[in-house]
Amino acid sequence: MLLLEYSGFLLAGFLTTLRLSLAVVLGATFCAILFAVGLSIRSPLVRRPFQLLVEILRDVPLIVTVFLIYFVMPRTGLALDPFWSATLAVSLWGGANGSHVIRAGLLAVPTGQLEAARAFGLSGWKGLLLIIIPQAMPVILPPYISLITAWVQSSSLGAVVGAYELFRSGQVIIEQTTISTGKSPAFLVYGFILLVYFVLCWLISRGGSWVERHFNKHRAPVKDVTRPLAGVLSPVGPLDGRT
Amino acid sequence: MDFDYILRALPDLLRGAQTTIAVSTLAIFFSLCVGVIGSTIRSSGFKPASYLVTAYVEFIRGTPYLVQIFFIFYGFPAIGLKLSVFWSGVAALSIWASAFHIENIRAGLASVPTGVNDASGSLGLGRLHHALFVVLPIALRSALPSMMNTIVSTVKNSAYLQAIGLVELTFVAVERVAYDFRVIEMFASICAIYLMCVFTVSGLGSVLQRRLDRPYGGR
Repeated sequence: MLLLEYSGFLLAGFLTTLRLSLAVVLGATFCAILFAVGLSIRSPLVRRPFQLLVEILRDVPLIVTVFLIYFVMPRTGLALDPFWSATLAVSLWGGANGSHVIRAGLLAVPTGQLEAARAFGLSGWKGLLLIIIPQAMPVILPPYISLITAWVQSSSLGAVVGAYELFRSGQVIIEQTTISTGKSPAFLVYGFILLVYFVLCWLISRGGSWVERHFNKHRAPVKDVTRPLAGVLSPVGPLDGRT
Repeated sequence: MDFDYILRALPDLLRGAQTTIAVSTLAIFFSLCVGVIGSTIRSSGFKPASYLVTAYVEFIRGTPYLVQIFFIFYGFPAIGLKLSVFWSGVAALSIWASAFHIENIRAGLASVPTGVNDASGSLGLGRLHHALFVVLPIALRSALPSMMNTIVSTVKNSAYLQAIGLVELTFVAVERVAYDFRVIEMFASICAIYLMCVFTVSGLGSVLQRRLDRPYGGR
């Protein structure tokens, strides 16, 4: 059995995929918060460049961004290895998509909540962290979790610039087996990789709904939580995040 | 930035863009067909078929699109389905996009109030008439924004097909970068071309949306 024969190699690839995914999720969340802050600043001098950057990142195919970062970064004197250039590219793209989700979530909380928090002496960061964010979470989480699965899937783009993650490992196995036996095991290997990703994404969305339940625990049953989401998010574009 | 270089590369890039447009147009057409059929099956109430469609949607959405492309191009010959690069690309893109369209259209169909069924019945409209002139306009109104997102993503996702060697826009640019190292020039031009494509498609979408959002009746 081919897969067993190369199980160590595949496992190493899978672990790299996990590390890459973790780096991407952290990086994209950081970028998403940064962009969301940038998009919310009143001064057009700051906001416009952020809007332009986010729009371009969303409209250009992700694979182009990945190549762009991989080829352009060395010019700036900061040569990144495939792993980190893929992380940077997917994080920027993920941040552009995530920023709209975060912004929409924060805007869905009625302004009266922040005013009430101020009245109780919870100003600035405290009000944001203790009052606004917990209320924004139920709106942010569902689309954010599907974004996370999209980011994990997009980590497979590391393969096109040569990061040895799961998909690249599969490609190497196929190449070697095709050379040595003359028959391509592509159906088996790629099928297996598809299954691994499917299980991984399924686990993430299960974990995500567990977190969602945690944030919904203290909420009074709201008539329709999805409605404000639909109203706020419909103008901001793709939530299917996959570009 | 060397504009002369871009000008010289432009014919090549435009040939690549032609392939991009051809692949995406075919994929948009096929995925919309599959989307309509799939969502009809899913809301038909016939359990086994609707589970099958759900499984398809979940599997495509839960796996990386890049691996799907490779699975189709390199894996399908093993089960006796050998497609050229171009048609593998069309197949991969259509399979991916139709999973999203099935969801989009299903959500649109779900937004149609059930009262219209009774209304059509009492007016004596035939099934086809009811589906085309009553349900479709209402469903399309609410499904169009997400369908346009998927269509825009289809155009963008055609770029992934460079990985299996389809000579489209990104492939041309990356190949030229490998020869001439004009990184900034090439990426700036393909980004501009992709932005133009995306704006054209989403512009068409908002024209259609405005047309659909007009109140019924007053012709």
